[in-house]
Amino acid sequence: MSPAPTRRSDLSRDWTKHLFILFFILIELFPLYMMFQVSFKDNATFIRQPWLPINPLSWHWENWDFAFHLILPYIANTVFVAVTGTVCSLFLAILGAYFFARHKLPFSGLLWAAFLALMLMPSVVNITPLFMLLKSLKLLNTLWALVLVGIAGGQVFSIFVLRNFIEDLPRDLFEAAEMDGASHLQQVFNVVIPMSGPIIGTLAILSFLGMWNDFLLPLIVLRDKELFTLGVGLIYLDGEYVKQWGQIMAAYFVASIPLIIVFLFTMRLFVRGLSAGAIKG
Amino acid sequence: MAAPLSRQKLLREWKLYFFIVPSLAMVLTFAYFPAGSAVYHSFFEWAGGDTKQLIGLDNFRRAFHDQVLLSSFLTVSVLMVFNLFQMIPSILLAVLIHRLKSDRWQYIYRVLLVVPMIVPGLVRLFIWKFFFDPNLGVLNGLLDFTGLKGVLVSLDHVFGWGVFYANVPIGWLSQPELILPSLFLWGFPWIGAVGVLIFLAGLQSIGQDVYEAAELDGIGPFRKFIYIELPLILTQVRLMLVLLIVGTLGGYGLQLQLLNEYGGPGGRGMVPGLWMYNRAFYAGEFGYACAIGMIIFVFILVLTFVNNRYVRIEK
Repeated sequence: MSPAPTRRSDLSRDWTKHLFILFFILIELFPLYMMFQVSFKDNATFIRQPWLPINPLSWHWENWDFAFHLILPYIANTVFVAVTGTVCSLFLAILGAYFFARHKLPFSGLLWAAFLALMLMPSVVNITPLFMLLKSLKLLNTLWALVLVGIAGGQVFSIFVLRNFIEDLPRDLFEAAEMDGASHLQQVFNVVIPMSGPIIGTLAILSFLGMWNDFLLPLIVLRDKELFTLGVGLIYLDGEYVKQWGQIMAAYFVASIPLIIVFLFTMRLFVRGLSAGAIKG
Repeated sequence: MAAPLSRQKLLREWKLYFFIVPSLAMVLTFAYFPAGSAVYHSFFEWAGGDTKQLIGLDNFRRAFHDQVLLSSFLTVSVLMVFNLFQMIPSILLAVLIHRLKSDRWQYIYRVLLVVPMIVPGLVRLFIWKFFFDPNLGVLNGLLDFTGLKGVLVSLDHVFGWGVFYANVPIGWLSQPELILPSLFLWGFPWIGAVGVLIFLAGLQSIGQDVYEAAELDGIGPFRKFIYIELPLILTQVRLMLVLLIVGTLGGYGLQLQLLNEYGGPGGRGMVPGLWMYNRAFYAGEFGYACAIGMIIFVFILVLTFVNNRYVRIEK
């Protein structure tokens, strides 16, 4: 906690560092800048002036109109998959973690090993048989396939984190709840979930980001245009023969809007969640 | 915390097993079953239908003579070496941010770092694809603008690469020789928010007093990095490296989208994961794809074990 006067001298002492950091961050943000300013141009304007934004009065808003119509259905599908998947995944993971954390029942050691062993299994290797499994379950070309695989994929890491967290909760809380005659399910809802808000939030963001950004599984599972998630939709847009860069960039921008909104509300969780995400894998 | 239960308590608590059943069912169906199926089918010739033929180890024998697969392992090794260099900017940035005196600025920079994460990964990839475009792309525009193109052309004259010519736009993703350089270059300056935040967490344990002591002893910024900061984040650096390497070894989304299912012109960007994907979903050779998957799995497992040993010795 340095008082105001020294802060200014700090800034003047650190200016070389600030310069370096800003240099890196500006390059990192450059794609965002290009995406934004190109989204208002048609191809002719873009070829004449690729670098600088053009006068706002001659902005081509029809690019954005096109993008909204194209991307909104994809966003709706992706939101459905990511939200359903995240909520179900975390709920099951909380139950599972509660099982491991509260009592040591016969076989729980074995079950724990079975979960941990999955951490070593890279999901890429499974994609071929997973596709055949979904085919025989008649889940191909459905959004539920993505939801189910997402739920299963999130279990190991979430249970791992949540078990440690629940074990560290004060035992008195559970004992008091048991005295009052609370069942295990009631203990989960009234003790575990209220006490572990931040950690659940962090795990939720990680899980949501994972499902939001996935495109490899949707690419092989989805066939109908009405079911496309963002990833597949963008891949098809990229495959168009004649490219209207303005429209494409506007579509990219629209595709980012949901995460911008999530980010604005959960900035702190985001920053912390990403640091915690390191343990994953 | 969890203690073993007496018998009568077990009789009362057996319902707790219902808590693990849903998770277990999901994991068994969508992780263990496909994994077992992959092992099983790697011994079959299987086009994905009902008919399949047991061919023993033929798939693996074929894999060891498959030129595409062998050279794809070479390519992926090169990409894994690239990872080493691509980590450097993140480490430098974390150290720079940590050395700032003001907590407020540290937080602002942290948030700014996370901002690019709001763009879906795929969009980032496609924007880079657009940067690589020979005629409209930013990269060629920048090279022309700064005159670096001329430097590249004259270097080409000296070394006889036959890649850069004065009046021809550079086809970053269409010239076989440039595929690997493009895969290295993409995402410059390769700053991953996750990496920087982990490094920052590691640096957190250095107090201001250490820096003050170092300054009193007249230690310069470079030696401060070598003697104070780097040793402290070595664990995190190794963790990130392992994550990156395992991701690169098993990954193929980047190559599939930036190039195509054949790894671009000349197949220069072909990696094992992409070849597996290609065999399964373009050639319909599911059995062979499972075998390739098994081989990749073994490599990842070996890397993980080597790393675990290595980490333990260091501690």
